[in-house]
Amino acid sequence: MTTQTPTTEATQTAPLLMKVRGMSMSYGEGAQENKIIENLDLDVEFGQFISIVGPSGVGKTTLLRCLSGLLRPKAGTIEVSGTQISGPHPDLAVVFQDYSRSLMPWMTTRENVAFPLQGKGMGKTERNNLADENLAAVGLAGQGDKFPWEMSGGMQQRVAIARALAYNAKVLLMDEPFASVDAQTRFDLEDLVLDLQHKLGVTILLVTHDIDEALYLADKVVVIAEKPATVVDEIITDFGDTRDQLATKADPRFAEARARILVRLRKD
Amino acid sequence: MTNSTLKAPAPAAVQPPARKPSNGSGKKLLTSTWLIVVVVAIWWFASANSTNFFIPSLQEILESLVRDLGNGVILGGALYSLTNLFVGLAIAAVLGIGGGLLFGELHWLRRIFDPIIHFFRSVPQAALVPMIIGVFGMGQGPKMGTIAFACMWPILLNTIDGVLGVEPTIRKFSKVYRIPRMLHFRRVVLPAALPQIMAGVRVALPIGITVMVVSEMFASIEGLGFFILNSSATFKVPETWAGALLVGVIGYLISILFVFVEKRVLRWYHASGAQ
Amino acid sequence: MKESTISPGLLTVQRVVAIGVLFGIWQLIIASGTMPSMLPGVTQIFAGIGETIVSPLFWEALGKTLLAALTGWVLASVIGVILGLTIGSVRFLDRSSNILIDFGRSFPVLALMPVVIMLLGSNSIMEIVVVGLSCLWPVLVQTIYGARRQESAVADTVAVFRIPVMLRFRRVLLPSAMPFIATGVRISASIAILVAVGVEVISQAPGIGRQITLMQQAQRWDMAFAYLFFAGLVGWGIAALLQLGENRLLKWKRQNDD
Repeated sequence: MTTQTPTTEATQTAPLLMKVRGMSMSYGEGAQENKIIENLDLDVEFGQFISIVGPSGVGKTTLLRCLSGLLRPKAGTIEVSGTQISGPHPDLAVVFQDYSRSLMPWMTTRENVAFPLQGKGMGKTERNNLADENLAAVGLAGQGDKFPWEMSGGMQQRVAIARALAYNAKVLLMDEPFASVDAQTRFDLEDLVLDLQHKLGVTILLVTHDIDEALYLADKVVVIAEKPATVVDEIITDFGDTRDQLATKADPRFAEARARILVRLRKD
Repeated sequence: MTNSTLKAPAPAAVQPPARKPSNGSGKKLLTSTWLIVVVVAIWWFASANSTNFFIPSLQEILESLVRDLGNGVILGGALYSLTNLFVGLAIAAVLGIGGGLLFGELHWLRRIFDPIIHFFRSVPQAALVPMIIGVFGMGQGPKMGTIAFACMWPILLNTIDGVLGVEPTIRKFSKVYRIPRMLHFRRVVLPAALPQIMAGVRVALPIGITVMVVSEMFASIEGLGFFILNSSATFKVPETWAGALLVGVIGYLISILFVFVEKRVLRWYHASGAQ
Repeated sequence: MKESTISPGLLTVQRVVAIGVLFGIWQLIIASGTMPSMLPGVTQIFAGIGETIVSPLFWEALGKTLLAALTGWVLASVIGVILGLTIGSVRFLDRSSNILIDFGRSFPVLALMPVVIMLLGSNSIMEIVVVGLSCLWPVLVQTIYGARRQESAVADTVAVFRIPVMLRFRRVLLPSAMPFIATGVRISASIAILVAVGVEVISQAPGIGRQITLMQQAQRWDMAFAYLFFAGLVGWGIAALLQLGENRLLKWKRQNDD
């Protein structure tokens, strides 16, 4: 698209973990065709935290479903670690927005976290140990025997994050993961995710409609807009490894970046 | 717990509305039992001096019930009947749940067989009795088979509904985390559909009991149905009433037992308040 | 749930093929000789169906069964709705009748048949009573649920404006419980046919059920199957019709609900 802005110079040098080229997605055929996404490019480097931000209804969910292999795009390629994906991929894990629906109420939190590992064919003790480890990593040590419905929304979303971590994927896709929790829990979870990312070095791709959240968390913010959706801007943030909900958001560069995104989104 | 039908009604109707916990369990017990005491008392006194040969006094009915329970006449029959019922139900559950999972997961298969399933579940269960027993004889096997056939459809239909109602997010999860097919069936689809499956079994229970009794009334020399019919044919009126009453009590006890088991099995469902 | 784009024509063809396969399996089982010899083959069943459809005896029996089922169903619906609204709107009654209703609905009414026959004889009145007793429970239970679910805001409104009891019954309670009542009434319609045929099988009251046992006793298995087929067909038709009716009637409700 014409609005494609010149982006970073880093992309050319570092090896890419995920590479999306010319991806288009639409529903329906012929005259009925409803184009959702057109000609979208995306580069994800190892260990990067990328936020994809866009207004509600722009097709973020469709984009994420394509990236996670749940939907097959109509055109373009999605490569993970150099191979093109044709469906859900072991290097990709997803944290869904609706924690209360993505966790299974008939399993304990430990079973929930261990379940995908069982699917990988891992033995019982091994997967339970891994589950406990990852529950501890998200601050839920010793809570493995509880059922999800015995926990608060924030805790449930931590379980979902632990489940994604335990799966040991290279890329964590997060679909508005903090949209259904209250503000304070949201800040806690954001800091938890930042902390985990630095400790474990996972690569995270977060989809959100919240500009502050996108900026606060990410190394790179990808702005998508227009109809059909495409990338209209990319912003490399430079707030360093240690961020603070108050200080970082008070940074003048934060305000500047936010204004730039707002302008981008308003234009359409 | 509303359904006494072939197919559980809309889920909204299945959910019992949350009740306020009543303070004072003694008062609660009194409120829930006084009417039964009154009904029994009215029956007792109104029938006490009955001159109608066909309406014996409640006292006579209960006396004959106690007598025949004591001398084993009824107990043997009940054992025979309940064996048929449970074997039939077990077969129905296996076929109904298995088929329901299959039809629920495979949309194309369900679309093709949908009218056939709905036709079979509309066949009057009691009318099968003379057919199946006529062809296969009076033994226990055909009776079990009839019960199984009659009970299978509500379980099948409810299982299909349950499978279709599995939360889409959980299905997405299973795909993204590449859960193998059998594991997905066993640990995701089956538990998610279980509340609806249990509703189907609850619907099947009274159907099973009805077919059980009818099959024994139609052709048998054993069982509760035979006891009732034989008593009425030999004009042992109190025994006839006693038998019918007993079948009712057994039906009620089984349904209570089932609700109890269901609460245990579906603890997560009731506790999580999922719909 | 996305439905793939299969044309209705192709679907019909697939369905016909499926039915054909089932008949084929049936014929194979018959031909294999593992089943008792009385079972009629596919051609005999079709002949039986053809013979039945032109037989005045069949139409008479069908009429009798339907009339008994309909009468019992209507009576049970009226009584069930009135009783259910009363019980459901009065908390004390609701609590008091709980066990009794649970007992009643788990009672296999057909087991009571010999008793009812002793009291009323083997005739259509008896059949209507048994059908009515069976149909009562779903209507009653569903109506109670509907009446219970009265919104507290609505209840407050009724109280504040001091709406008279009868008016409240007719204009507030009944419409708000309507979706539940409709479900109960629909469910009991299927039960009515099933029970009516069942009564006829056991009591030899005239109707489809009796014809099935007569045909079976006369070793006319093809005709017995044909009757059974039509009994199923009628039950299916009624269920489908009522489902359609309920969906139409309650369109507003569906829109509000989800």
